Amino acid sequence: MLSWASFSCEGFMLLSLLILFPIVCALIVWALPSEKIVRPFSLVAGIAHFCISLQLFGKFNSASAGLQLAEQISWIPSFGISYFLAIDGISFWLVIMTTFLFPFLVLSAWSSIEKQVRAFHINLFLLQAAMLGTFFAMDAILFYLFFEASLIPMYFIVGIWGGTRRLYATVKFVLYTMAGSILMLVAILTLMLMGESQLGAITAELPKLYQLKIPFIGGEFFNPQTLMFFAFSIAFAIKVPMFPFHTWLPDAHVEAPTPGSVVLAAVMLKMGTYGFLRFVLPLFPQAVMYWSWLFLFLGVLGIVYGALVAMVQPDIKKLVAYSSVSHMGYVMIGIFCLNLTGATGALYQMLNHGISTGALFILVGMIYERTHSREIEKYGGLASVMPLYTIMFFIVLLSSIAVPGTNGFIGEFLILLGTFTSSKIYGAIAVLGVIFGACYMLWMFKKVFFGPKSKMVEEHHLSDLSLREALTLAPFIILIFWMGLFPNCFLDYSKASLDHLLKNQGQYKLTIDNQSVKEASK
Amino acid sequence: MINLITPSEIWLLSPLIVLFLTSLIPLTIKVMRGNEEQPAMATLAQALAGILVAGFLIVYQWDNLKGLVFQRALVFDGLSSIFNLVTLIVTAVCLLYAYENTSIHRRQFSEMVFLVLNSVVGMFILTWANDLIVTFIGLELMSLALYVLVGMGHEQVRSKEASFKYFILGSFGSAIFLYGVALIYGASGTTMLSVLDGQAAQLVQTDRVFLLGIVFLMVGLLFKVSIFPFHAWAPDVYQGAPTPITALMATAVKMVMFAVLIRVTAIQGLLATPQFNQALQWLAVMTMFIGNLSALRQIQMKRMLAYSSIAHSGYVIVGLIAMSSSGSGVSSAAGIAFYLFIYSIMNLGAFGVLHLFERDENQIVLMDDFRGLAQRKPLLALAMTVFLLGLTGFPPTAGFFSKLYLFTSAVGEELYWLVVWAVLNSVISAYYYLRPIVLMYMQPADALTPMPLGQRLFTRGIILVSALLILILGIASQPLVEIVRRSVGSLFNI
Repeated sequence: MLSWASFSCEGFMLLSLLILFPIVCALIVWALPSEKIVRPFSLVAGIAHFCISLQLFGKFNSASAGLQLAEQISWIPSFGISYFLAIDGISFWLVIMTTFLFPFLVLSAWSSIEKQVRAFHINLFLLQAAMLGTFFAMDAILFYLFFEASLIPMYFIVGIWGGTRRLYATVKFVLYTMAGSILMLVAILTLMLMGESQLGAITAELPKLYQLKIPFIGGEFFNPQTLMFFAFSIAFAIKVPMFPFHTWLPDAHVEAPTPGSVVLAAVMLKMGTYGFLRFVLPLFPQAVMYWSWLFLFLGVLGIVYGALVAMVQPDIKKLVAYSSVSHMGYVMIGIFCLNLTGATGALYQMLNHGISTGALFILVGMIYERTHSREIEKYGGLASVMPLYTIMFFIVLLSSIAVPGTNGFIGEFLILLGTFTSSKIYGAIAVLGVIFGACYMLWMFKKVFFGPKSKMVEEHHLSDLSLREALTLAPFIILIFWMGLFPNCFLDYSKASLDHLLKNQGQYKLTIDNQSVKEASK
Repeated sequence: MINLITPSEIWLLSPLIVLFLTSLIPLTIKVMRGNEEQPAMATLAQALAGILVAGFLIVYQWDNLKGLVFQRALVFDGLSSIFNLVTLIVTAVCLLYAYENTSIHRRQFSEMVFLVLNSVVGMFILTWANDLIVTFIGLELMSLALYVLVGMGHEQVRSKEASFKYFILGSFGSAIFLYGVALIYGASGTTMLSVLDGQAAQLVQTDRVFLLGIVFLMVGLLFKVSIFPFHAWAPDVYQGAPTPITALMATAVKMVMFAVLIRVTAIQGLLATPQFNQALQWLAVMTMFIGNLSALRQIQMKRMLAYSSIAHSGYVIVGLIAMSSSGSGVSSAAGIAFYLFIYSIMNLGAFGVLHLFERDENQIVLMDDFRGLAQRKPLLALAMTVFLLGLTGFPPTAGFFSKLYLFTSAVGEELYWLVVWAVLNSVISAYYYLRPIVLMYMQPADALTPMPLGQRLFTRGIILVSALLILILGIASQPLVEIVRRSVGSLFNI
């Protein structure tokens, strides 16, 4: 009791507030008297949430690699579990992106979600809280808790508001993700108990777990570090998803409603790549060095495979979903080429993918609402009917295929540069993916937007973007160019942390920055 | 010199005496009134009053327990107190369900209260027993009452069948248990657990008869908690019994039997031999798989919960193995106890929801009955979702933390593979636990889907409270963990 009292005197708990805000909003939505005001309320709340998160800019010290704005309360002391939130350069932009996207989720749900509007927004808010918690958590168990808890709202979003095969997709999504992460739980427990023998007390705090010396034997599979490395890696690889674990993604993406697809692609997949940066790289340095070839290999395979499969998709949404597999392959090789250039590119690519794929899903959703079809074959000549839509789509598409001047270019360029410095062959194959990417995207664009008007386009009296839709897309377009032309505005914030992560392999340490420490005594 | 029973010992027994006397009240009144039931509400009130007094006595005695008494036949410690207290709460809940259940309602409620309370008397003896013969008495007292209770569904053929099956198999189990006790006595000259504590480690290595005795003893105990290959009775019995009794069996009986298993496992070196340990590991893994894989195919809610309860027994055995292979075992035993308590809350809630669907005693609640429940009764559907997610072990419910504590102790004993099997099993279980959620939220109800009953206020209240508890204990489990750890810890300082 006392610790709570002394803690609240410390003042403003920004990170907790960011997690709590959506939960409170969910409760308010539940209690709102009329279903009509759910959407406006959610929009306003989302914007307010984003504004609160902008406070981070003022409080975040981009020169420091340490943990900032840390909040720590002992939670379950007998198991060394604490409520430990903090932010650093690795999670900073992911958090901003998460809060930034929320209003657009509400906007894209405006016309695509018609039944049970209230329940949908409750789920959306809870999902938001769980995702932010995942990025803030600096305690392994707390992280796992948020990581798993985020499945539940997504499960409902796909299962209730999804397409025809939604039940299959949602159950597959949950079981697949859970199967992966549950092994991670065993590894976390092992780490905690290792903490008991090596550090003297059972603990789940990440900065303390980083200090563990985990036995490693190269060339053997059955040693603690390798086994735990794979337990974590499989959990995150399924989430990313990395090539052979990607099969849940196309199903989930195609069946999910538009806002669900957007949040899945933009944020939930990043929880996987973030996990690699936060857990796998610093916790298992030797195993990472030893097995990095495997992940480079699978990453490159994913890039090429995703692109090739995307080429033959008849469904636009499925095409975008497979392009996700390909793009996330870039992020994986960026992380596992283990140099600063690659990692910076990977982090940037995470944001890019969130922006461009998120926007693509919104765009696909808009046309689907008009025609109720996503089959590429049925489209043609859209450009003459919906010129504004075509321009927007083209810009987003350029970002997705990484044309210079757009954000995609910076990310992929840095990743390829990093990969070339560590391995020329993988770099060379990865470049192929860029070409394939251009192929399937431009081919799809040509089929859908140019040529003679197809029968379906003729039949539906298609209207161009409404004001609401244009406003939904405008920030994405602005960001695409902003991030493409002034990358340093963004990269400066994460540079120190990434630098610290990659220069100290084997002796990685995270300290809590003093000016922001708000630690409560027991 | 013969030790006389002292008043202080009688005082320790007072919760049991109160319960027994209470159990007689409704029955006596019924006899006095010429075999006519008094109002069910009065019976319920008498039973609850007795339970309340007994619970109060347990809490009152908590801090000055005497340890071994009655010439060391009984042991009063934190372990027995906390299990007895939770048993009482569970019993009260089951009686409230029974009060609102059609199958017993206003016909034989006094008999039922008598049997349930006497079954609880048996459970008390079980948690207190230090002498294996006393354990047997408790086991029989509890079981005899249960055999009848299972058959109390009046017009149901299944109920009779279940009762008969349970009686036959249960008697076998008890007989094997008793045989084991006899063999142990023959080999070691004692049936006292506290005496065995010093000798077991050596006897297990040298004496085949003793080993056989332990095996028989364990078979008898594992039968009651439905461990593979002694699990086959559970689904039929759970399905046939009236739902309140099913709830009692899946929670209180299971808890108490595991309390006995904790006491047996706490004997130094008894189960720690590699062979025994390995056999238990196999049983645990097989139990989990059999339970979960069979549950996948069920379309009736009760059978699904029955198979899942088999699987949960398997998880708890993981904790027992950790306890037997560890030096102190306090954290494993606490993990088991915590798991059982949380599991009981979730199960009581789930059975309560089921109970709301039972219009008459012949009705079998199907999974399909949950179709579209979220639209019709959003709060009920939400509560059921909490229970099911908790049983799966999803954070942030208490179900996650109970699994976490249980498996932490097993990982601490380096039982990695066992834990990996256990967690993979919880993924399998996710599939069938999520199915009712899919039906509730993602599929519409049709004209034939039954509505849950509108009345039954007690059941509704209990469901609400359990759901809230599962969520609150998910956020703040530390206080309960501390209490459990302190109580169970007393087991090891006698």
